Amino acid sequence: MLEDKINRIYSEFEKDIDGVNDLKKLEEIRIKYLSRSGLVNGLFSELKSVPKENIPFVGKQLNSLRQNVTDRFNSIKSEIESQKTSTDKDFDLTLPGSEIRLGSKHVLTQTLDQIKSIFKGLGFSVFEGPELESDYNNFEALNFPADHPARDMQDTFFINPKFLLRTHTSPVQIRVMQAYQPPVRAIMPGRVYRNEAVSSRSYCMFHQVEGLFVDTDVTFAELKGTLVAFAHQFYGEELKYRFRPSFFPFTEPSAEMDITCFLCKGKGCKLCKQSGWLEILGCGMVDPNVFQHVGYDSEKYTGYAFGMGIERIGLLKYGIDDIRIYFENDLRFLKQF
Amino acid sequence: MKISLNWINDFIDLSGIPVDEIVHKLTMSGLEVEDVIDERKIYKDFVVGFVKEKKKHPNADKLSVCTVWDGKHELQVICGAPNVEVNQKIVFASIGTIIAQGQFKLSKAKIRGVESFGMICSEAELELSDNHEGIMVLNDELKPGEKITSALGLNDVILEVAITPNRPDALSHIGVARDLAAIFNIPLTVPAIKIEETAGKISDIASVEIIDVENCPRYSAMVVQEVEIKDSPEWLSSRLKKIGLRPINNVVDVTNYIMYETGQPLHAFDLVNLEGNKIIVRSTDEESKFVTLDSKERVLPKNSLLICDAVRPVAIAGIMGGENSEVTSTTKDILIESAYFYHSSIRRTSKSLGLTTESSYRFERGTDPSNTLYAAQKAAQLIAELSSGKIAEGFIDVYPNPIKQNEIKLRYSRITKLLGYEIPQEKISEILFSLGCEIKHSGQNEVLLLIPTFRPDIEREVDLIEEIARIYGYDSIPTIETISVPLDIKHDESYFVDNIKNIASGLGFYEMINNPLQSESVASITGNKIKILNPQSQDMAYLRTSLIPGALQTIARNISVGEKDLYLFEVGNVFNKHVTDEIESFDDFSENQNLLFIITGRAAKKSWLTEETQSDFYILKGIIHSFLIKISLDNVLIDSYYNDGKSLFDYYFVKSYNKRVVGTGGKVNKNVLKFFDINQDVFCFEFNLDELKQIPIDEKRYKELLKYPKVFRDFAFIFDREAKHNEVIEFIKREGSKLLKSVRLFDLFESETIGTNKKSMAFALEYYDVNRTLTEEEVDKEFTKLITAVTKSFNAKLRG
Repeated sequence: MLEDKINRIYSEFEKDIDGVNDLKKLEEIRIKYLSRSGLVNGLFSELKSVPKENIPFVGKQLNSLRQNVTDRFNSIKSEIESQKTSTDKDFDLTLPGSEIRLGSKHVLTQTLDQIKSIFKGLGFSVFEGPELESDYNNFEALNFPADHPARDMQDTFFINPKFLLRTHTSPVQIRVMQAYQPPVRAIMPGRVYRNEAVSSRSYCMFHQVEGLFVDTDVTFAELKGTLVAFAHQFYGEELKYRFRPSFFPFTEPSAEMDITCFLCKGKGCKLCKQSGWLEILGCGMVDPNVFQHVGYDSEKYTGYAFGMGIERIGLLKYGIDDIRIYFENDLRFLKQF
Repeated sequence: MKISLNWINDFIDLSGIPVDEIVHKLTMSGLEVEDVIDERKIYKDFVVGFVKEKKKHPNADKLSVCTVWDGKHELQVICGAPNVEVNQKIVFASIGTIIAQGQFKLSKAKIRGVESFGMICSEAELELSDNHEGIMVLNDELKPGEKITSALGLNDVILEVAITPNRPDALSHIGVARDLAAIFNIPLTVPAIKIEETAGKISDIASVEIIDVENCPRYSAMVVQEVEIKDSPEWLSSRLKKIGLRPINNVVDVTNYIMYETGQPLHAFDLVNLEGNKIIVRSTDEESKFVTLDSKERVLPKNSLLICDAVRPVAIAGIMGGENSEVTSTTKDILIESAYFYHSSIRRTSKSLGLTTESSYRFERGTDPSNTLYAAQKAAQLIAELSSGKIAEGFIDVYPNPIKQNEIKLRYSRITKLLGYEIPQEKISEILFSLGCEIKHSGQNEVLLLIPTFRPDIEREVDLIEEIARIYGYDSIPTIETISVPLDIKHDESYFVDNIKNIASGLGFYEMINNPLQSESVASITGNKIKILNPQSQDMAYLRTSLIPGALQTIARNISVGEKDLYLFEVGNVFNKHVTDEIESFDDFSENQNLLFIITGRAAKKSWLTEETQSDFYILKGIIHSFLIKISLDNVLIDSYYNDGKSLFDYYFVKSYNKRVVGTGGKVNKNVLKFFDINQDVFCFEFNLDELKQIPIDEKRYKELLKYPKVFRDFAFIFDREAKHNEVIEFIKREGSKLLKSVRLFDLFESETIGTNKKSMAFALEYYDVNRTLTEEEVDKEFTKLITAVTKSFNAKLRG
């Protein structure tokens, strides 16, 4: 019976191919079974002797035999071939891979990106403004009257009495409020300048992010909630925080936010000057005089504003001990981030 | 400002409240305590010692070997001070004592072979003064073994408090005490004045006239006669030393003491030197010169407020007295000035003179116009006590237009609207009352308040809300956990630059941030610079006009530390002036955001796989091209090339759009590099991002992927050496049929075998049609035609 032969040949093939691991033997097997005059083709010629009604069934079995033998043969063959290529034992896999030139964004940009992405997630827009500003936008409109000691808080580089290098990103708040009606919900990152002697702790310029939210029912409680959410996301869930009254001409009430010192966890150390706290930002409710300057109705609208220095965050977060290193652009520094 | 808690205790009773709590509560109410000096802790281990014996050190001329009795033991102590003597009472530190606020712990020492079991201290070692001259010799009556905290009264706590500019009232001990009274809800007692008037009538002795009433609304004065100028008593000089002042004499010390107590600056004149026994307050109408009591000649600007006698100026009002009328050791009769000067006037003069004093600091922030007489009388009382002087009868108080207290209406609903929570009404009244506000009228929903004149910062309802919030505590304002976000359109003006920075760093560049403030020579390299009116130094006196000079400084710095292979980028603003005159408006200058790519050194180091390559013009060009591909602007900009050695570059190329230049770059000029001490080639390209941003980018559309095979052909020609690659490419693109989709140079060389002044350029061509398979025959036909055309037009020869 042809069907018996089919089974017998397949078992014989299995026996022959089992354990074969060189191509020469494999070729012998191919010739024995799969060549034109091989055993499998030989069975096809016997199909004539099968009764007509059985031909479709037996034919199918034959085809499946040929398929199985071919598949098994191919899989053994590729196994042997792959073994062969890796048999060169001296091939040195430990040689270094080829080097790709790398680059990175400045650590200040990376820090800023993180901050921006958190606030964008909280529904803030991002606005920018010029660094060479008018005295009006930088001081007057922000409730720093001329001849007021509050101006001493921000030593200023002047171009002339009317123009200056902005001392904070707050003039962008003025520009945004002049351009849009509430609700205004935005952060304003940028570079600012202070006329201070350059030292390890202060530089003539640095970067800030300010935030502003003005709408009909914005409260101090919401300001606290928003900044706490930010601080938890940016500095970690574990931190403790406190809001302390402070003074900024453009906010009333004003506050500074402190978080527990990362280094000593609040016990007191050199970084936090023994207080256990690190100041991370200033904030407050937008002063009605500022609203007046931009033409908002301060009875109808309330708002909050906050601002933080980016360099300071790096000093705290990465243990950078000299602010000047940010701007020396020493490749050995840039590569660390 | 330094605040002594012992002094504060004159006005409020803080007993039973731990220092930590005082510090915390003060900080949390807005008077930030930056440092705490607790004498009881610092001096706890120091005792009074007695020097029983003194011998010369056997091995050192300048050292003595002393025997000190510390009340319990006799100890051998080495002392280097020249003034140490037998029978002195001294401050003794035994082994284990912490010296200099925890800086070090005293241990047993062997000095030149002799053991020492402690230290005899100088004032400097105790941080009582800078006096290093010798040891501190104590009053003979003190008992050995007694702790110096009690023996010397070193039991105070000094707080360093940061006072924000809005709080002039807190620049005094009474002011800080008032906040503490409000915080702890305890009563504040300001001592009453007890004056014994024993001299003649003041109106017969002196008079005051105010000419500039606007800038000097009030002038109060007291006269004390027959004073004896001498050192202040211990209690007074000790209080002053603890807050960082140097005692001078009993009169000057009292004026300082009253200022630090009440916040009212005072000045004492020697009455003998006041011509006509008269004070006239006026402003100058022209620039003038004046010698202040520090013996410096000052140039006073026009409109400076002056205190004059009948003939000449005797003080710069509110800033500093004159040398001509100051109190000296021979002074007998004094006039005490206690005035209220308008803050702007004092600030203008002080700024213009570059002279800030404790007095001007307070006046320019705003003193209390209601307090001048109290402070003058208090000072007169104390000076009379300490100098056996006689107080003239009565007082001078010129106050033509008394300043009224502010009235402010406070709506309870507004507190809730701003803070987001309710504070009980009783609590509100309690806080405002303890801060000195009077309730004029109280309604159900609002209250009308009279604001004390010592709080010039409280002008509006919102200022009162801040007062209530800071005393009630920001901690008690809830931190809400849910916010609602308006669904208006969000903007992101930094998106474009953020994307550019990502691309640039992805192209293997490190981002630098250079200082936009530069020296004149650096800022002059290109552009039209803007000068800073008041620079910090000449190195930072101008704004940069381009990102290139700053980047070259960075490159020079890096090379000097051995980093010679640099691929850097920067995004930053550059500033150029458009007018020759002063900047009057935003149109008179430009502030542009630029992007710079700068490369130098090796593009690739030699490795076992690859050869070393040096950065060059074509690497720069390739990078700029890749960058433009990434921002979808690779096909819209027009290139032009220059080899004229003009500008910053030896040779360079310019990218423009609609004839507007968007970027320039090339090989940096050798002379420019020399200026920065760079002796390796540098290539850079600077974009104007404001221009680049404006170029419209076609919205991306999906293009169907090619279904039919491409046909490739190569050819190489020998050209004349001056033939330009882009001309050939353009020609081939133009002459090739629609089926030619791309041409690329893949080989270039010059050699003698192809002839002098010749070069070979080889091109790879790609043919296909999106709708069908091309036949080899039709491509060959096109290709042959093209060969002929190139040969003819460029005098080129096809290479076999």
